[in-house]
Amino acid sequence: METKEKIQSDLLQFLSRQFFVDIEDIQIDKSLIDTGIIDSMGLIEIASYIKKTHGFVVSNEQMNRDNFGSVLKLVDFIYKTKS
Amino acid sequence: MHNNIKNVKRCTKCILSANFPRIKFDEKGVCNFCNNELLHSTEQEDITSATLEVQKLFDDKRGKSEYDAIVCYSGGKDSTYTLKLAVEKYKLNILSFTLDNGFISPVAFKNIEKVVTALGVDHITYRPSYEFMKGLYRVSSLENIYNPKTLTRISSNCNSCISIINITSLKIALEKRIPFILAGFTLGQIPSNTIYYQNNYEFFKESRKPILDKFKSEIGPEVSRYMEISEDLLKSSESFPHNINLLCMEDITENEILEKIKPLGWIKPGDVDGCSTNCRINSFNNYVHTLKFGYSPYELELSHLIRKNLLSREEALEKLFDQPEDQINYAKSELKLDENQILKNKVV
Ligand SMILES: [Zn+2]
Repeated sequence: METKEKIQSDLLQFLSRQFFVDIEDIQIDKSLIDTGIIDSMGLIEIASYIKKTHGFVVSNEQMNRDNFGSVLKLVDFIYKTKS
Repeated sequence: MHNNIKNVKRCTKCILSANFPRIKFDEKGVCNFCNNELLHSTEQEDITSATLEVQKLFDDKRGKSEYDAIVCYSGGKDSTYTLKLAVEKYKLNILSFTLDNGFISPVAFKNIEKVVTALGVDHITYRPSYEFMKGLYRVSSLENIYNPKTLTRISSNCNSCISIINITSLKIALEKRIPFILAGFTLGQIPSNTIYYQNNYEFFKESRKPILDKFKSEIGPEVSRYMEISEDLLKSSESFPHNINLLCMEDITENEILEKIKPLGWIKPGDVDGCSTNCRINSFNNYVHTLKFGYSPYELELSHLIRKNLLSREEALEKLFDQPEDQINYAKSELKLDENQILKNKVV
């Protein structure tokens, strides 16, 4: 089982590459949309990343602010779903 | 403007310019996108898995609704080929849908008529009031409505138009219980991890609220009619359609596409810019974007085609520079906008 730290560093790597942003510029406790890192299509891209990297499909019900509201929330969501 | 886009420093392999966000050049003048430091890390993997999944989805849903899919059909070459693929390759029962934004080339309209006739599909055109569309383009040109991230791939005006296309096609799909919405985007226009996805209007709605509020305050409550879906319709919908971009799964050059759609009667319009095959406001949209950001909204897409050997660098530059002044001036006068007004909200 991957640690939360590993899930987080992989996710940040992906965000940095996919959305052309320095990792240092990503505020991990803030909404990625509100801080301008991604737009609404970015949510689809993250869901696709989760499917590919962590092997599970994000349902429409799961795609909400509790799970997708920040990097920290995403990491928690991925960790919980996998364990 | 032409001198600006012609003189700017560009990657020696693709055509991304020094003004493009996050760009860096190595000692040979090659950019960090070409050097595979950003994006495209898993593109082939994405295409392979999308191809399998999409085939499965089609096989599962084909023949179970009034229509299998709605195709967002602009009359341009890419969506024409998408329509052809949907009918002939994927054997889907199609409803073709065109949004008339008030700036569609008359030749494009003839193309639409010829192509839907040749392919034998049902077709509808929806034309929001011209006053509304002009208002939408004015606001999209003047204000900084969208996340700059969105605008690395598309101009603000095109994005507004496409929002209406997305919402309208989703409405029709929900009303008629159509399981698929097909569009003619290519890789480069969209990232490879969004070739297909299931619509999630509720969450999109939340993330798009600030944009919608801005439009409502600038244009008026009628924005709702074109850019929102009623609660009643949402409540009565059991599942949401998948959006799929068939062209992303095809390895095909522009010339090959033109060859394939010629037998349908499709002719290239003469009154559009080098980056469009249907829309007469596109060159103005590019002009606004270049004024504000210092790079063209087509740089990422054309560069992607170069990297995939689907277009030469020379051909790409030719398209980029082919921005007819008369088209730009026509839109400026229709929208009653001048350069100084646009420059007020310059980003770079
Ligand atoms: Zn390059």
